[in-house]
Amino acid sequence: MPAFLTRLNDAAKSKILTLQEYFVLAGKALRFIVARPFYGQDVVQQMDEIGVKSLGIVLLTGLFTGMVLALQSSVQLKTFGASMYIGNLVSASMIRELGPVLAGLMVAGRVGSGIAAQLGSMRVTEQIDALNTLGTDPIKKLVTPRLLAALIMLPVLTIINDFVGIIGGNIIASLVVGLPSAQYWRTVWVQIASDGFALRYIPNDFIQGLTKPIVFGGLIAITACYFGLGTTGGTEGVGQSTTRTVVTSSILILIVDYFITQLLLSVLTYG
Amino acid sequence: MADRPRVSEPDHDRRSGDVGPAADERKSAAVRHAIRSELAVDAPKDDAHAAKRASETSIVELQHVSLAFDVPIIEDISLITREGETMAIVGESGTGKSTILKLVLRLLVPDRGRVLIEGEDITPLSFEEALAVRQKMGMVFQGAALFDSMSVFENVAYPLREHTDMNDDEIEQRVREKLQFVDLDPDRVIDQFPAELSGGMRKRVGIARGMANNPRIMLYDEPTSGLDPLTTGTITRLIMKLQRELGVTSLVVSHDIRAVFRMASKVALLHDRRITFFGTPEEMAGSEDQYIQDFLGGFTT
Repeated sequence: MPAFLTRLNDAAKSKILTLQEYFVLAGKALRFIVARPFYGQDVVQQMDEIGVKSLGIVLLTGLFTGMVLALQSSVQLKTFGASMYIGNLVSASMIRELGPVLAGLMVAGRVGSGIAAQLGSMRVTEQIDALNTLGTDPIKKLVTPRLLAALIMLPVLTIINDFVGIIGGNIIASLVVGLPSAQYWRTVWVQIASDGFALRYIPNDFIQGLTKPIVFGGLIAITACYFGLGTTGGTEGVGQSTTRTVVTSSILILIVDYFITQLLLSVLTYG
Repeated sequence: MADRPRVSEPDHDRRSGDVGPAADERKSAAVRHAIRSELAVDAPKDDAHAAKRASETSIVELQHVSLAFDVPIIEDISLITREGETMAIVGESGTGKSTILKLVLRLLVPDRGRVLIEGEDITPLSFEEALAVRQKMGMVFQGAALFDSMSVFENVAYPLREHTDMNDDEIEQRVREKLQFVDLDPDRVIDQFPAELSGGMRKRVGIARGMANNPRIMLYDEPTSGLDPLTTGTITRLIMKLQRELGVTSLVVSHDIRAVFRMASKVALLHDRRITFFGTPEEMAGSEDQYIQDFLGGFTT
């Protein structure tokens, strides 16, 4: 076989191996959620780390995203004389797309990098080996609590993000456009209702808006743990793992977002 | 649902020295033997051999072990450590000394050969079974590898919380006892974090954590590297004290030949992926092999 084909073969193999390792890690971490021993304290600590400490940036992100959405749409809608529909536009965009994706990206940057750096330095200082030696499965002790905390906290952050975004839209609608708050909130609700309901009572928008952050939470936690635990090459390696985590999880969020939307649009009946 | 592996808590205090099930067996065998000789009974030869074998039980044994990643790391290595011995593995940096410890802990699995812990072949064990076997061993890492998100107390208590049913009072008592054993003042260090400790103190906390569960086997990875001569002396004395007072079997990986000659009863020299010398420190010092003499650099007992 020519040399370049051999190289191509090796490269392809290593990529597939990486993918396999990623899914094995994800599978194990998920399985350990229901297997003893439980590290409840670690889960609570990680929920604080991932959720409570991310609240500040999520609040700011949500508020300003909602405000800028209202501002931009007010210009556009005005040309059609449809300024009263700002609420529809802000709520649909926030709940379906911007809330989950922006919360995901912010958490990937803040929490993903933190997890990768922490596990990476534990790896290079042999603390992961120490856990193994002391008879603890590092995946169970380190990955599962982070995964569980992310799965729980990202939807919570997303709901807060959505809500604050819609309030941001409200502020701009009343201050800049002069739309009364009651009118704004009515259009917000009309939009949610008009997108239809699943199982009669659950708005489709909520299903979309909450499926995404659960998936993103899983993606961020597993990606960060995968790169963190796989760190080699001392402190420089820790830096690389951190960068890789933020880049990979951000891109994965955007790609997966498209496919989830596609899937949900075909499953849920809209309108 | 996987059951949590547990270590049975010995009721007695091992500090008194030569105790423990194996030692009891040994003693009773010796006593039987003595009585038989006293009564001039013809002791069957097998029994005498059995007694001899019991006192020479292999605790850690490697049989023709080879391991390669991209390049061969170690080839056809055979080692045996008997109860209560301190074996040192010496060699140049990067010759795979630490790899041997990882094989013993089954953090790595050999490509060929077998690794036996107390006579049990650990090579075919599953990951979960390996976690249980590792509890027989206490490992002291080169950089101590203390969990830096936990206090000294939490670090030493970690193996107890993980694998025993001890209550908080018992755990605290045990942690204090172990810290005292390694010459640390429990009241002073117990609430400190690893980052606040000096290198020597960190290493001592590492030893305390390694021995918290009263393991029968202690493994040390470069216990004296990066320490000043005085602290090196302290750590060396500590390892000897552990062996002397608790009768643990120790495996020490080191290139500090002075420390090794003080504490080891057997020395294995790793050179060019193989064991090129295995014997007592005296035999090593007396060897006429040029490489060994170069390695010792003129140092003799």
